[in-house]
Amino acid sequence: MAMSELSLKSVRKTFGALEVIKGVDLEIEKGEFTVFVGPSGCGKSTLLRMIAGLEDISSGDLEISGERMNETDPSKRGIAMVFQSYALYPHLTVRQNMGFALRFAGVPKAEIEKQVMDAARILELEKLLDRKPKALSGGQRQRVAIGRAIVRHPKVFLFDEPLSNLDAELRVHMRVEIAKLHKKLGATVVYVTHDQVEAMTLADKIVVLRDGRIEQVGSPLQLYSDPDNRFVAGFIGSPKMNFLPATAVTTNGQPSIRLDASGIVLPAGHLATRLAEGTKLVAGLRPEIFKDGGDSSLLLDIEMVEHLGSETLVHARSGETLVTVKYGGIRPMKDGETVRAEFDAASVLFFGADDQRIR
Amino acid sequence: MDRLTRGLTAFFTYAFLGIMAFLSVFPFIWMVLGATNTSIDIIKGKVGIGTALLDNIRAFNAAVDVPLVFWNSIKIALISTALTLIVASLAGYGFEVFRSKYRERVYSAILLTLMVPFAALMIPLFVMMGKFGLINTHWAVILPTLGSAFVIFYFRQSTKAFPSELRDAARVDGLKEWQIFLLIYVPVMRSTYAAAFIIVFMASWNNYLWPLIVLQSNEMKTITLVVSSMASAYYPDFGAVMVSAILATLPTLIVFFVMQRQFVQGMTGSIK
Repeated sequence: MAMSELSLKSVRKTFGALEVIKGVDLEIEKGEFTVFVGPSGCGKSTLLRMIAGLEDISSGDLEISGERMNETDPSKRGIAMVFQSYALYPHLTVRQNMGFALRFAGVPKAEIEKQVMDAARILELEKLLDRKPKALSGGQRQRVAIGRAIVRHPKVFLFDEPLSNLDAELRVHMRVEIAKLHKKLGATVVYVTHDQVEAMTLADKIVVLRDGRIEQVGSPLQLYSDPDNRFVAGFIGSPKMNFLPATAVTTNGQPSIRLDASGIVLPAGHLATRLAEGTKLVAGLRPEIFKDGGDSSLLLDIEMVEHLGSETLVHARSGETLVTVKYGGIRPMKDGETVRAEFDAASVLFFGADDQRIR
Repeated sequence: MDRLTRGLTAFFTYAFLGIMAFLSVFPFIWMVLGATNTSIDIIKGKVGIGTALLDNIRAFNAAVDVPLVFWNSIKIALISTALTLIVASLAGYGFEVFRSKYRERVYSAILLTLMVPFAALMIPLFVMMGKFGLINTHWAVILPTLGSAFVIFYFRQSTKAFPSELRDAARVDGLKEWQIFLLIYVPVMRSTYAAAFIIVFMASWNNYLWPLIVLQSNEMKTITLVVSSMASAYYPDFGAVMVSAILATLPTLIVFFVMQRQFVQGMTGSIK
C-alpha cells in the first residue's frame, strides 16, 4: 500500500474542558486535493491549524511523509499555508514577502531570487514584485500569498478559506487558478472552505466535518449521490435536499415507504435493510430529481417561483413541509398555483430516525 | 424662523469655539510677544512687539548654561522615551498575544496603578532612589517612568488591531517569538510607536515635579526646572523667562510637527 503523504490518527484537540476535535482519522495521498467542509464552528480550521503546527495536538498522531510531526516546529513540517486574510507582511515588498521564509531558512540570496522569480512567473506576478501589498488588489494579494507558499516547495499546501475575502467574480476566477496550479504542481493540498461549490469543484476528496467529527469522506460525486447520513445529504448540493417525513409500509405484499404528507407510496424493495412496518423515517429528494415523465409525483402548492433564466426554482409546500424543486430552463409557473411535480422514485434516498442512511 | 435658529446656533457655536481657540493660543502669542519686551512692559500688560528681544536673549544666556540644560533635557527625554516604548510595547504585545490564566489579573493590577496619584508615590520613590544611590542623577528621573501603565494600556489596545494571521504566517515562515516581535510587529505597528513616542517624549520633556525633587545640583537640571527657577527668582526678568519658555516649547513642537501624520494614524489605530 502506498504511504500517505499526510495521516491523522485519532487526533483530538481540547481547550480546557471543551473538546473541539473529537478523534479524527484521515489519510491523504500524495498529490491529492482534499477539502475540509462543514458549517461554522465544526472544527475544520482548527484541524488545519493543527496540521500546520499553529495549534497543539492534545492527543493522537500527525504524520507527514511517514514522520510523526506532533511537536515539530511549523516551519520544519514541510508545509506552507495560505491564509484567509492573505497575511502578507505589509511593510515588505512582494519580492521580500515571497522570499521571507527562504531567508530564514538560510537559503543563499541567488537561490531565493531564482525561486521567487519562478513562482512569480507561474502566478504572473513579475511586474508586481517591487510593490507593497497595499498597492495590490485582493486577487493579486491572494496570488502573492500563494506564491509565498510555492517558493518553499512544501510537501503539503494548506489553504484556510483563501477565497472568502474576494468578490464573487474574482472568487470564481481564483478557484480556476488554484485548480490549474494544483494540476501544474501536482502538489498535495488540504483546503478549508465553507463554500460547497468550492469543495465540489476543487476536491479529489471531500471531508465533511461536523462538531469536531468526520461525517463522511469521499469524492465530490460520491458524497452527492451516496451520502452516509442526513447531514452530508443536506450539506452537499445546492439548493439543499428536501427531507419529507415517511413511514415504512407494506403494499400488495411488497415493502414500501409512504410519504406522510402526501400519501404517495414509493417502492422499497431495492433496500437491503428490512424495515419493520410503521418505522418512522425521512425521505430525501434532491430538488433536481424532479422532471417531467417521472414514475412518481408530488402535489405541490407553489409559494414562490424564482426565474433564473437557465433554471427555475420553485418553493412550494407538500402538506406542512417546504419543498424546493429545480427545473432546467424557463417554466411558466406562478405563485399560488398547485402543480404535480414528477420524479423518479429510484432517485429518492432514505434516512432512519438516527439520521443514518438506509441502504 | 428655521433660518434664524440655524444662524443663531452657528453664531454661538463659532463664538464658543473662538473663545476656546483664543484661550488656547493666546498664552503662546503672549509668550512670543513677551520675549521681545522688557520685564516692566510685560508686567504692565503690554501686548505688542517690543525691541528687547536681543537683550532678553543675552540675559537668559548669561543666567543659564543653555547647552548643558538642553543636553540634560534631551538626554533624559530620549532615553526615557526609548526605554518606555521598549518596555510598554513588549508588555502590551505580551498581554494581548499570549494566553495565560493570570494574564487579566496582572494586567488589572498594572492598570490599578493609574489610580494612585503621583503625590502618594513621591516619598517612597525618593527613599528608593536614595537607597539605590541615584539621587541627583538622571537615572532617578528616568527609571520611575519606564513601567508606564498608560503606555502599556495604549500598546495593548493597539495590538488588538495587529492581525493574528501575520503572527501565524511568521511562525510558519520559521520565525521565533522574538523575531516576530522585532521583524513583524515593530515595523507593522510603527504609527503606534510614533504616537506613543510623541506622548511619552512630551511628558518626559515637560516633567517638572519629580526632577525638581531628585535633581539637586545646577549642572543636572532640565529646562523646565530652569524656566521655573527663573520665574520664581526674587526679581524675575520676565523677558528672559519668556525666551526660556520659547526654547522649552520648541522641541516638543518640532517633534509633533515632524511626526504629526504618524501620530494621527497611531491614535486612530490604522495599520497599513
